[in-house]
Amino acid sequence: MTCQDLDLRLDDWLDGALTGDAAREVESHLAGCAACRERERELRQLLAHAAALPRSLAPARDLWPGIAERIGGGWLGWGARGFQPLALAAAAVVVLGLAALVLTRLAPERVRTVTMPAATPSATTFVAGGSAADPVLAQAEREYEEAAKALLEALQRHRGMLPAEDLARVESNLQVIDRALAEVREALVKDPANPELNRMLVATHRKKVDVLRRVVRLSTAL
Amino acid sequence: MEGLVGVVIGDTRIAMREDEDRRATELRLVRQAQAGDLVAFERLYRENERKVFGLCFRLSSDPALAEELTQEVFVRAWRKLSSFRGESAFSSWLYPLTVNVALSERRSRRRRDARIIATEDPASLERAPRSPAPEAGFDLEKAMATLPPGARAVFVLHDVEGRTHEEIAQLLGLAPGTSKAQLHRARRLLREALAS
Repeated sequence: MTCQDLDLRLDDWLDGALTGDAAREVESHLAGCAACRERERELRQLLAHAAALPRSLAPARDLWPGIAERIGGGWLGWGARGFQPLALAAAAVVVLGLAALVLTRLAPERVRTVTMPAATPSATTFVAGGSAADPVLAQAEREYEEAAKALLEALQRHRGMLPAEDLARVESNLQVIDRALAEVREALVKDPANPELNRMLVATHRKKVDVLRRVVRLSTAL
Repeated sequence: MEGLVGVVIGDTRIAMREDEDRRATELRLVRQAQAGDLVAFERLYRENERKVFGLCFRLSSDPALAEELTQEVFVRAWRKLSSFRGESAFSSWLYPLTVNVALSERRSRRRRDARIIATEDPASLERAPRSPAPEAGFDLEKAMATLPPGARAVFVLHDVEGRTHEEIAQLLGLAPGTSKAQLHRARRLLREALAS
Protein backbone atom coordinates (compact mmCIF):
# COMPACT_ATOMS: atom_id res chain seq x y z
CA MET A 1 0.00 0.00 0.00
CA THR A 2 1.33 3.44 -0.93
CA CYS A 3 0.84 6.64 1.08
CA GLN A 4 -1.62 7.76 -1.61
CA ASP A 5 -3.64 4.54 -1.19
CA LEU A 6 -3.68 5.10 2.55
CA ASP A 7 -4.93 8.66 2.10
CA LEU A 8 -7.90 7.28 0.14
CA ARG A 9 -8.74 4.66 2.79
CA LEU A 10 -7.93 6.53 5.98
CA ASP A 11 -11.40 8.09 6.27
CA ASP A 12 -13.12 4.72 5.97
CA TRP A 13 -10.71 3.13 8.42
CA LEU A 14 -11.24 5.86 11.02
CA ASP A 15 -14.99 5.68 10.52
CA GLY A 16 -14.89 1.92 11.14
CA ALA A 17 -15.99 1.11 7.62
CA LEU A 18 -12.99 -1.16 6.87
CA THR A 19 -12.77 -4.69 8.21
CA GLY A 20 -10.62 -7.77 7.72
CA ASP A 21 -7.75 -7.61 5.28
CA ALA A 22 -8.53 -4.05 4.19
CA ALA A 23 -8.24 -2.81 7.77
CA ARG A 24 -5.08 -4.83 8.38
CA GLU A 25 -3.43 -3.31 5.28
CA VAL A 26 -4.06 0.20 6.63
CA GLU A 27 -2.75 -0.74 10.07
CA SER A 28 0.34 -2.34 8.60
CA HIS A 29 1.13 0.75 6.52
CA LEU A 30 0.63 3.06 9.51
CA ALA A 31 2.98 0.96 11.61
CA GLY A 32 5.79 1.55 9.14
CA CYS A 33 5.16 5.14 7.95
CA ALA A 34 5.75 8.09 10.28
CA ALA A 35 4.30 10.63 7.81
CA CYS A 36 1.01 8.74 7.53
CA ARG A 37 0.87 8.27 11.31
CA GLU A 38 1.15 12.04 11.64
CA ARG A 39 -1.68 12.46 9.12
CA GLU A 40 -3.77 9.97 11.08
CA ARG A 41 -3.03 11.85 14.34
CA GLU A 42 -4.13 15.16 12.80
CA LEU A 43 -7.28 13.61 11.45
CA ARG A 44 -8.17 12.08 14.82
CA GLN A 45 -7.57 15.46 16.43
CA LEU A 46 -9.88 17.12 13.89
CA LEU A 47 -12.61 14.55 14.48
CA ALA A 48 -12.30 15.08 18.24
CA HIS A 49 -12.77 18.83 17.69
CA ALA A 50 -15.84 18.20 15.55
CA ALA A 51 -17.36 15.72 17.99
CA ALA A 52 -16.89 18.21 20.84
CA LEU A 53 -18.86 20.97 19.09
CA PRO A 54 -22.27 21.53 20.65
CA ARG A 55 -25.08 20.65 18.25
CA SER A 56 -27.32 23.30 19.74
CA LEU A 57 -26.53 27.00 19.53
CA ALA A 58 -28.56 29.90 20.81
CA PRO A 59 -29.40 32.71 18.39
CA ALA A 60 -28.38 36.19 19.53
CA ARG A 61 -32.00 37.40 19.60
CA ASP A 62 -35.46 36.01 20.14
CA LEU A 63 -36.65 34.82 16.73
CA TRP A 64 -40.17 33.92 17.81
CA PRO A 65 -41.82 37.37 17.33
CA GLY A 66 -40.82 37.32 13.65
CA ILE A 67 -42.18 33.80 13.23
CA ALA A 68 -45.40 34.61 15.07
CA GLU A 69 -45.90 37.66 12.93
CA ARG A 70 -45.59 35.65 9.74
CA ILE A 71 -47.70 32.69 10.71
CA GLY A 72 -50.22 34.61 12.74
CA GLY A 73 -50.86 37.14 10.00
CA GLY A 74 -49.23 40.04 11.80
CA TRP A 75 -50.92 39.75 15.18
CA LEU A 76 -47.89 41.03 16.97
CA GLY A 77 -46.51 43.25 14.23
CA TRP A 78 -45.23 46.74 14.80
CA GLY A 79 -45.83 48.70 11.67
CA ALA A 80 -45.14 51.93 9.92
CA ARG A 81 -42.43 54.49 10.35
CA GLY A 82 -42.88 58.19 10.77
CA PHE A 83 -45.39 59.92 12.97
CA GLN A 84 -48.77 60.40 11.34
CA PRO A 85 -51.46 61.75 13.67
CA LEU A 86 -54.02 60.61 11.09
CA ALA A 87 -53.22 57.03 11.94
CA LEU A 88 -54.19 57.71 15.52
CA ALA A 89 -57.46 59.15 14.41
CA ALA A 90 -58.00 56.12 12.19
CA ALA A 91 -57.24 53.87 15.10
CA ALA A 92 -59.79 55.63 17.23
CA VAL A 93 -62.40 55.25 14.47
CA VAL A 94 -61.78 51.57 13.93
CA VAL A 95 -61.80 50.95 17.65
CA LEU A 96 -65.18 52.57 17.89
CA GLY A 97 -66.37 50.59 14.88
CA LEU A 98 -65.09 47.40 16.37
CA ALA A 99 -66.70 48.12 19.70
CA ALA A 100 -69.98 48.62 17.88
CA LEU A 101 -69.50 45.34 16.04
CA VAL A 102 -68.80 43.50 19.25
CA LEU A 103 -71.62 45.11 21.18
CA THR A 104 -74.20 44.43 18.51
CA ARG A 105 -73.22 40.79 18.34
CA LEU A 106 -73.29 40.20 22.06
CA ALA A 107 -76.14 39.71 24.40
CA PRO A 108 -74.76 40.57 27.87
CA GLU A 109 -75.73 37.26 29.42
CA ARG A 110 -73.67 35.40 26.84
CA VAL A 111 -70.45 37.12 27.82
CA ARG A 112 -68.09 34.81 29.64
CA THR A 113 -65.23 36.48 31.50
CA VAL A 114 -61.73 35.55 30.40
CA THR A 115 -58.93 35.68 32.93
CA MET A 116 -57.32 39.06 32.42
CA PRO A 117 -54.05 40.50 33.58
CA ALA A 118 -54.42 43.06 36.34
CA ALA A 119 -55.17 46.66 35.43
CA THR A 120 -52.25 49.01 35.09
CA PRO A 121 -52.60 51.81 37.59
CA SER A 122 -49.07 53.00 36.95
CA ALA A 123 -50.22 54.22 33.55
CA THR A 124 -52.16 57.05 35.10
CA THR A 125 -49.13 58.09 37.12
CA PHE A 126 -47.07 58.42 34.01
CA VAL A 127 -49.69 60.44 32.09
CA ALA A 128 -49.33 63.19 34.63
CA GLY A 129 -45.76 63.93 33.72
CA GLY A 130 -43.91 61.06 32.12
CA SER A 131 -41.52 60.91 29.21
CA ALA A 132 -40.32 58.23 26.84
CA ALA A 133 -37.27 57.72 28.97
CA ASP A 134 -39.31 57.72 32.14
CA PRO A 135 -39.11 54.37 33.96
CA VAL A 136 -42.76 54.73 34.96
CA LEU A 137 -43.72 55.01 31.29
CA ALA A 138 -41.55 52.07 30.43
CA GLN A 139 -43.21 50.03 33.18
CA ALA A 140 -46.69 51.08 32.04
CA GLU A 141 -45.85 50.09 28.48
CA ARG A 142 -44.55 46.75 29.62
CA GLU A 143 -47.70 46.07 31.58
CA TYR A 144 -49.94 46.98 28.67
CA GLU A 145 -47.86 44.89 26.33
CA GLU A 146 -48.05 41.92 28.67
CA ALA A 147 -51.80 42.34 28.91
CA ALA A 148 -52.08 42.57 25.13
CA LYS A 149 -49.88 39.51 24.68
CA ALA A 150 -51.95 37.45 27.10
CA LEU A 151 -55.10 38.51 25.29
CA LEU A 152 -53.63 37.76 21.89
CA GLU A 153 -52.73 34.30 23.10
CA ALA A 154 -56.24 33.80 24.43
CA LEU A 155 -57.60 35.04 21.12
CA GLN A 156 -55.37 32.63 19.21
CA ARG A 157 -56.79 29.78 21.23
CA HIS A 158 -60.34 30.79 20.44
CA ARG A 159 -59.96 32.31 17.01
CA GLY A 160 -61.75 29.37 15.46
CA MET A 161 -64.92 30.54 17.21
CA LEU A 162 -65.06 33.84 15.32
CA PRO A 163 -66.40 34.17 11.79
CA ALA A 164 -63.56 34.68 9.32
CA GLU A 165 -64.73 38.12 8.23
CA ASP A 166 -64.89 39.37 11.82
CA LEU A 167 -61.46 37.94 12.50
CA ALA A 168 -60.07 39.71 9.45
CA ARG A 169 -61.57 43.01 10.61
CA VAL A 170 -60.15 42.56 14.10
CA GLU A 171 -56.74 41.77 12.72
CA SER A 172 -56.83 44.74 10.39
CA ASN A 173 -57.89 47.03 13.22
CA LEU A 174 -55.16 45.77 15.48
CA GLN A 175 -52.64 46.46 12.77
CA VAL A 176 -53.85 50.05 12.57
CA ILE A 177 -53.48 50.41 16.33
CA ASP A 178 -50.02 48.87 16.24
CA ARG A 179 -49.02 51.29 13.50
CA ALA A 180 -50.28 54.17 15.60
CA LEU A 181 -48.30 52.91 18.58
CA ALA A 182 -45.16 52.68 16.50
CA GLU A 183 -45.65 56.20 15.22
CA VAL A 184 -46.16 57.66 18.67
CA ARG A 185 -43.10 55.86 19.95
CA GLU A 186 -41.04 57.21 17.10
CA ALA A 187 -42.30 60.73 17.74
CA LEU A 188 -41.45 60.33 21.43
CA VAL A 189 -37.87 59.50 20.56
CA LYS A 190 -37.59 62.99 19.05
CA ASP A 191 -39.65 64.73 21.71
CA PRO A 192 -39.67 62.60 24.83
CA ALA A 193 -41.13 65.24 27.16
CA ASN A 194 -44.16 66.03 25.00
CA PRO A 195 -47.17 65.46 27.32
CA GLU A 196 -49.60 65.09 24.41
CA LEU A 197 -47.57 62.27 22.91
CA ASN A 198 -47.31 60.58 26.27
CA ARG A 199 -51.07 60.78 26.69
CA MET A 200 -51.57 59.38 23.18
CA LEU A 201 -49.25 56.48 23.86
CA VAL A 202 -51.08 55.37 26.96
CA ALA A 203 -54.48 55.95 25.40
CA THR A 204 -53.55 53.84 22.37
CA HIS A 205 -52.22 51.03 24.53
CA ARG A 206 -55.42 51.13 26.54
CA LYS A 207 -57.50 50.98 23.35
CA LYS A 208 -55.62 47.97 22.14
CA VAL A 209 -56.16 46.13 25.40
CA ASP A 210 -59.83 47.13 25.44
CA VAL A 211 -60.35 45.89 21.90
CA LEU A 212 -58.65 42.62 22.64
CA ARG A 213 -60.59 42.14 25.84
CA ARG A 214 -63.89 42.62 24.01
CA VAL A 215 -62.94 40.33 21.12
CA VAL A 216 -61.75 37.59 23.45
CA ARG A 217 -65.01 37.83 25.35
CA LEU A 218 -66.90 37.62 22.07
CA SER A 219 -64.90 34.63 20.83
CA THR A 220 -65.41 32.69 24.05
CA ALA A 221 -69.12 33.51 24.22
CA LEU A 222 -70.03 32.42 20.70
CA MET B 1 -24.60 -7.55 41.56
CA GLU B 2 -28.31 -8.28 41.20
CA GLY B 3 -28.99 -5.13 43.20
CA LEU B 4 -26.84 -3.09 40.81
CA VAL B 5 -28.54 -4.66 37.81
CA GLY B 6 -31.87 -3.84 39.41
CA VAL B 7 -30.82 -0.21 39.87
CA VAL B 8 -29.65 0.02 36.27
CA ILE B 9 -32.86 -1.54 34.97
CA GLY B 10 -34.87 0.74 37.25
CA ASP B 11 -32.98 3.82 36.01
CA THR B 12 -33.47 2.70 32.43
CA ARG B 13 -37.20 2.27 33.03
CA ILE B 14 -37.40 5.73 34.59
CA ALA B 15 -35.50 7.21 31.62
CA MET B 16 -37.79 5.39 29.20
CA ARG B 17 -40.86 6.61 31.07
CA GLU B 18 -39.52 10.18 31.04
CA ASP B 19 -38.89 9.85 27.33
CA GLU B 20 -42.40 8.53 26.79
CA ASP B 21 -43.82 11.41 28.83
CA ARG B 22 -41.80 13.89 26.78
CA ARG B 23 -43.02 12.34 23.55
CA ALA B 24 -46.61 12.38 24.80
CA THR B 25 -46.31 16.06 25.76
CA GLU B 26 -44.74 16.86 22.42
CA LEU B 27 -47.46 15.01 20.53
CA ARG B 28 -50.13 16.85 22.51
CA LEU B 29 -48.49 20.17 21.61
CA VAL B 30 -48.32 19.14 17.96
CA ARG B 31 -52.01 18.22 17.95
CA GLN B 32 -52.90 21.56 19.55
CA ALA B 33 -50.71 23.40 17.05
CA GLN B 34 -52.32 21.47 14.20
CA ALA B 35 -55.64 22.80 15.47
CA GLY B 36 -54.28 26.35 15.18
CA ASP B 37 -52.92 26.89 18.70
CA LEU B 38 -50.01 29.31 18.28
CA VAL B 39 -49.04 29.07 21.95
CA ALA B 40 -48.52 25.32 21.60
CA PHE B 41 -46.45 25.91 18.49
CA GLU B 42 -44.33 28.46 20.33
CA ARG B 43 -43.52 25.78 22.91
CA LEU B 44 -42.46 23.42 20.13
CA TYR B 45 -40.33 26.24 18.74
CA ARG B 46 -38.70 26.89 22.13
CA GLU B 47 -37.88 23.19 22.46
CA ASN B 48 -36.21 23.01 19.05
CA GLU B 49 -34.89 26.47 18.18
CA ARG B 50 -31.30 25.86 19.32
CA LYS B 51 -30.85 22.68 17.33
CA VAL B 52 -32.38 24.25 14.24
CA PHE B 53 -30.35 27.44 14.61
CA GLY B 54 -27.15 25.47 15.26
CA LEU B 55 -27.62 23.49 12.06
CA CYS B 56 -28.60 26.56 10.02
CA PHE B 57 -25.59 28.46 11.32
CA ARG B 58 -23.16 25.69 10.48
CA LEU B 59 -24.63 25.12 7.03
CA SER B 60 -24.62 28.83 6.17
CA SER B 61 -21.67 30.12 8.26
CA ASP B 62 -23.57 33.36 8.60
CA PRO B 63 -25.30 34.11 11.92
CA ALA B 64 -27.66 36.71 10.46
CA LEU B 65 -28.67 34.40 7.63
CA ALA B 66 -28.99 31.52 10.11
CA GLU B 67 -31.53 33.57 12.07
CA GLU B 68 -33.59 34.15 8.92
CA LEU B 69 -33.31 30.49 7.97
CA THR B 70 -34.43 29.38 11.43
CA GLN B 71 -37.49 31.57 11.14
CA GLU B 72 -38.19 30.22 7.66
CA VAL B 73 -37.93 26.63 8.93
CA PHE B 74 -40.57 27.24 11.59
CA VAL B 75 -42.85 29.17 9.25
CA ARG B 76 -42.72 26.25 6.80
CA ALA B 77 -43.13 23.77 9.65
CA TRP B 78 -46.32 25.58 10.70
CA ARG B 79 -47.67 25.43 7.16
CA LYS B 80 -46.80 21.75 6.76
CA LEU B 81 -47.76 20.71 10.26
CA SER B 82 -50.82 18.79 9.07
CA SER B 83 -48.47 16.31 7.38
CA PHE B 84 -46.81 15.40 10.71
CA ARG B 85 -48.40 12.16 11.91
CA GLY B 86 -46.45 11.73 15.12
CA GLU B 87 -44.66 8.57 13.99
CA SER B 88 -41.28 10.14 14.80
CA ALA B 89 -40.09 12.86 17.17
CA PHE B 90 -40.96 16.38 16.09
CA SER B 91 -37.23 17.18 15.94
CA SER B 92 -36.70 14.28 13.51
CA TRP B 93 -39.47 15.63 11.32
CA LEU B 94 -37.89 19.08 11.42
CA TYR B 95 -34.40 17.86 10.49
CA PRO B 96 -34.75 17.31 6.71
CA LEU B 97 -36.86 20.44 6.52
CA THR B 98 -34.06 22.42 8.15
CA VAL B 99 -31.41 21.02 5.83
CA ASN B 100 -33.60 21.66 2.83
CA VAL B 101 -34.40 25.23 3.83
CA ALA B 102 -30.78 26.04 4.71
CA LEU B 103 -29.30 24.67 1.52
CA SER B 104 -31.99 25.69 -0.95
CA GLU B 105 -32.21 29.20 0.46
CA ARG B 106 -28.44 29.55 0.25
CA ARG B 107 -28.47 28.35 -3.35
CA SER B 108 -31.32 30.62 -4.36
CA ARG B 109 -29.73 33.62 -2.71
CA ARG B 110 -26.49 32.94 -4.48
CA ARG B 111 -28.28 32.76 -7.78
CA ARG B 112 -30.33 35.85 -7.03
CA ASP B 113 -27.66 38.27 -6.01
CA ALA B 114 -24.39 36.41 -6.50
CA ARG B 115 -23.70 36.96 -2.83
CA ILE B 116 -20.80 35.03 -1.36
CA ILE B 117 -22.15 33.62 1.86
CA ALA B 118 -20.15 35.00 4.71
CA THR B 119 -17.10 32.80 4.37
CA GLU B 120 -15.02 35.74 3.31
CA ASP B 121 -16.91 38.16 5.50
CA PRO B 122 -14.83 38.70 8.64
CA ALA B 123 -17.49 40.92 10.21
CA SER B 124 -20.07 38.16 10.13
CA LEU B 125 -17.61 35.70 11.63
CA GLU B 126 -16.95 38.15 14.42
CA ARG B 127 -20.65 37.97 15.27
CA ALA B 128 -20.75 34.21 14.99
CA PRO B 129 -21.91 32.18 17.98
CA ARG B 130 -18.84 30.68 19.55
CA SER B 131 -18.50 27.09 20.55
CA PRO B 132 -16.15 26.21 23.36
CA ALA B 133 -12.87 25.34 21.62
CA PRO B 134 -11.44 22.10 22.98
CA GLU B 135 -7.95 23.32 22.20
CA ALA B 136 -6.75 26.90 22.13
CA GLY B 137 -5.37 28.17 18.83
CA PHE B 138 -7.76 26.38 16.49
CA ASP B 139 -11.23 27.68 15.80
CA LEU B 140 -13.05 24.91 14.00
CA GLU B 141 -16.17 27.03 13.42
CA LYS B 142 -14.07 29.60 11.61
CA ALA B 143 -12.22 26.98 9.63
CA MET B 144 -15.49 25.28 8.61
CA ALA B 145 -16.75 28.60 7.30
CA THR B 146 -13.91 28.66 4.77
CA LEU B 147 -14.87 25.28 3.26
CA PRO B 148 -16.60 25.06 -0.10
CA PRO B 149 -20.36 24.81 0.61
CA GLY B 150 -20.81 21.21 -0.55
CA ALA B 151 -17.86 19.93 1.47
CA ARG B 152 -18.96 21.97 4.49
CA ALA B 153 -22.48 20.55 4.38
CA VAL B 154 -21.24 16.97 4.30
CA PHE B 155 -18.65 17.60 7.05
CA VAL B 156 -21.27 19.23 9.29
CA LEU B 157 -23.80 16.46 8.75
CA HIS B 158 -21.29 13.60 9.12
CA ASP B 159 -18.69 14.69 11.65
CA VAL B 160 -20.65 17.22 13.74
CA GLU B 161 -24.20 15.87 13.48
CA GLY B 162 -23.24 12.19 13.26
CA ARG B 163 -25.28 11.31 10.17
CA THR B 164 -24.28 8.38 7.93
CA HIS B 165 -23.33 8.77 4.27
CA GLU B 166 -26.59 7.06 3.31
CA GLU B 167 -28.61 9.57 5.34
CA ILE B 168 -26.59 12.48 3.94
CA ALA B 169 -27.06 11.20 0.42
CA GLN B 170 -30.81 11.16 0.97
CA LEU B 171 -30.87 14.60 2.63
CA LEU B 172 -28.74 16.28 -0.01
CA GLY B 173 -29.85 14.30 -3.05
CA LEU B 174 -26.37 12.91 -3.69
CA ALA B 175 -24.89 9.49 -4.31
CA PRO B 176 -23.26 8.07 -1.14
CA GLY B 177 -19.93 8.02 -3.02
CA THR B 178 -20.20 11.77 -3.64
CA SER B 179 -20.86 12.31 0.05
CA LYS B 180 -17.70 10.33 0.87
CA ALA B 181 -15.66 12.32 -1.63
CA GLN B 182 -16.91 15.62 -0.20
CA LEU B 183 -16.10 14.47 3.32
CA HIS B 184 -12.59 13.50 2.26
CA ARG B 185 -12.10 16.93 0.73
CA ALA B 186 -13.44 18.74 3.77
CA ARG B 187 -11.32 16.73 6.20
CA ARG B 188 -8.18 17.32 4.14
CA LEU B 189 -8.76 21.08 4.04
CA LEU B 190 -9.53 21.24 7.75
CA ARG B 191 -6.59 19.02 8.67
CA GLU B 192 -4.34 21.40 6.77
CA ALA B 193 -5.88 24.35 8.63
CA LEU B 194 -5.40 22.53 11.92
CA ALA B 195 -1.77 21.79 11.12
CA SER B 196 -0.93 25.33 10.03
